[in-house]
Amino acid sequence: MSVVVVGLNHRTGPVELRERLHFPPEAARNALQRLRKQLDGVGAVILSTCNRVELYASYATEPLELCAELRKFLSEWHGIPETEFRDHLYEYTEDEAVGHLFRVACSLDSMVVGENQVLGQVHDAYLLAQAEQSTDKIISALFQKAFSVSKSVRTHTAISEGKVSIGSVAVDLAVSIFMNLEGKTVMIVGSGKMGELTLKTLVSKGAGNLLMVNRSVEKAQELADMHGGEAIALDVMEDHLHRADIVVASTGAPGYILRPDHFHHALKQRAQQPMFVIDIAVPRNVDPAVNDLDNVYVYDVDDLQQVAEQNKEARRQEIDRCIEIVDEGVAQFMHWVHTLVAEPTIVEMSQELNTIRERELAKTLSSMPDLTDKQREEIEYMSKRIVNTILQRPMSQLKREMGHHDPHTVLHLVKRLFGLKETP
Amino acid sequence: MMGAIYFTFYAGVAFYAVAAIVAAAYLRRQEDRLLKAAYGIALAGAVLILVTFALRITAWERLPLTNVTDSLNLFVLLSTIVMVIVAKQERMGSLLSFYLPPVALIALLNATVAHIYLRDEPRELQGLFLTVHVGLAFLAYALFFVASVTSVAYVFQANRLKHRQTLGLFQKLPSLEQLDRILFRLIKIGYPLFAITLILGFIWAYVESELLGPNWWMAPKIIMALLMATFYSAAFHGRRLGRLRGPKLAYFVFIGFGVLLVAHLILGLSQLNNYNFWGMGE
Repeated sequence: MSVVVVGLNHRTGPVELRERLHFPPEAARNALQRLRKQLDGVGAVILSTCNRVELYASYATEPLELCAELRKFLSEWHGIPETEFRDHLYEYTEDEAVGHLFRVACSLDSMVVGENQVLGQVHDAYLLAQAEQSTDKIISALFQKAFSVSKSVRTHTAISEGKVSIGSVAVDLAVSIFMNLEGKTVMIVGSGKMGELTLKTLVSKGAGNLLMVNRSVEKAQELADMHGGEAIALDVMEDHLHRADIVVASTGAPGYILRPDHFHHALKQRAQQPMFVIDIAVPRNVDPAVNDLDNVYVYDVDDLQQVAEQNKEARRQEIDRCIEIVDEGVAQFMHWVHTLVAEPTIVEMSQELNTIRERELAKTLSSMPDLTDKQREEIEYMSKRIVNTILQRPMSQLKREMGHHDPHTVLHLVKRLFGLKETP
Repeated sequence: MMGAIYFTFYAGVAFYAVAAIVAAAYLRRQEDRLLKAAYGIALAGAVLILVTFALRITAWERLPLTNVTDSLNLFVLLSTIVMVIVAKQERMGSLLSFYLPPVALIALLNATVAHIYLRDEPRELQGLFLTVHVGLAFLAYALFFVASVTSVAYVFQANRLKHRQTLGLFQKLPSLEQLDRILFRLIKIGYPLFAITLILGFIWAYVESELLGPNWWMAPKIIMALLMATFYSAAFHGRRLGRLRGPKLAYFVFIGFGVLLVAHLILGLSQLNNYNFWGMGE
């Protein structure tokens, strides 16, 4: 039984190629059905996201043969010659394939390490395969293990902590100042694109009251109508500054339009309640000296970027710990797979010894016709105990050795020792 | 009886010390099981200290509130109750990981420096009036203590945000708004309680002025208590009127507690806490 993955991701293939090889959900459903027809009894999952297209499969054949079948399938399904994507594909087999899936589920293979979206995508891909009955015992166990390894990684490491985009960093900082953003008033100064994006992120987290400030009252009104806020002209902004818990500045003004004296006055009016100022304008709109005031926290675009980079670096530093957990998961899973592979041989060993036992028992009993039924039963029971005792050690040793040596060599040796038939 | 008192006292302090270590480990590793363990161990420590207290009452047949060890035991117990209530009200168990180490430090200080008073017979509290005065005073101190730890957390959180340090040990601190709310709630209860305590104390001292001497009001303990009341009065009214908030309020609350420490711990341990300190009395 082989476990393999064939695919490409944001590192190995350009977006144009990933788009051509992409499987939308309905196509993935049909593709799984066709794959089951082509390879009878195959266990398969198709994981297709914007950053990767991967086919996971388990099948009773040599791993390299299975990889070749999956490549051929990709080519035929999408109508793209293999030569066009062959160089962009990666193919992992057995423990490498298992390790790859675990890294993907733990978001160690993602463009943004530690992001949470990919786990949901892996989960959806598995559910789709399950619905199409294209999962077998090994694929099911593989994905279940991937989910548990991912949970362990997220619980025991800080790989998903700290936001890494400017908008989410701003929200994180706002939440460190205000317990939550519900009911908070946000003042947007200017109509820059970044300001609008930040506003949307803050609103999505519950910020309620919006004050739209613009040089032109008409433009301010237009923005207020669009986002459901109150329009304020730039020249009277100071009179309303005290109402804002969060100020987002993104005008094209050449100099500072918000200075310490503005905030000094606003803080007095709002009983020193803290204010969070996000200055995403270049050149900056807020005098950096404002940050020296108590209860005002000013972050410009470089500060936000710096925080995002710090968080990215912190996540990178967690990778080694994550890999340790992944490797442990791979070892546990491969041990289980090897035990599974050894099962038919164990059954054969047991059958072979029991055949010998029954044959010899029949001979013995036929030469002792005077035995009572009770005595016959006792002799038969004893013969069974002998066989079971003989088998016990080789069986447990076989399971153990499967994980440490080449499984095929181990099975071959056991079969020769016990005189079992070699399977091709 | 003394054996049992010593055993429960030192075992209780040891539990607090372990709870503080586990709480510090939680700050680093953020595993919920560590927080639960710290909470459980601290509660076990509190129960042992409570048993010590009960054994002291049984042994001497009076409330043991008149020496440093017993006072600190009561203080540790009340502080534990206050911090558990705050953490539960705020639905933020992680607050315990900030509160527990300082409480454990006080308990350890008690076991290593002040334990010598454990063998002393407590001086009798003269009546209900004085018992209420002392009991309320320690409740106010416990509230101020938790407030001062909260104020330290506030300053750390504010500095972290001012200086763009988003990573590290203190990234799990509550928001400034939440810390400010806790701080104000604690001094809102603690300050009036302390004011009542002072009034009760003055009434008692006036009535008992023959016993305390005419210059009782000049004793270092009284001066320190007044100084502390001034600090907390400024903090309470400043915050209520919206004049004092943020790091400045935090510093006020912290310095106020520093005065409390000087007033009781240092004066108590150095035997300077009598009412006839200036030697002008009888």
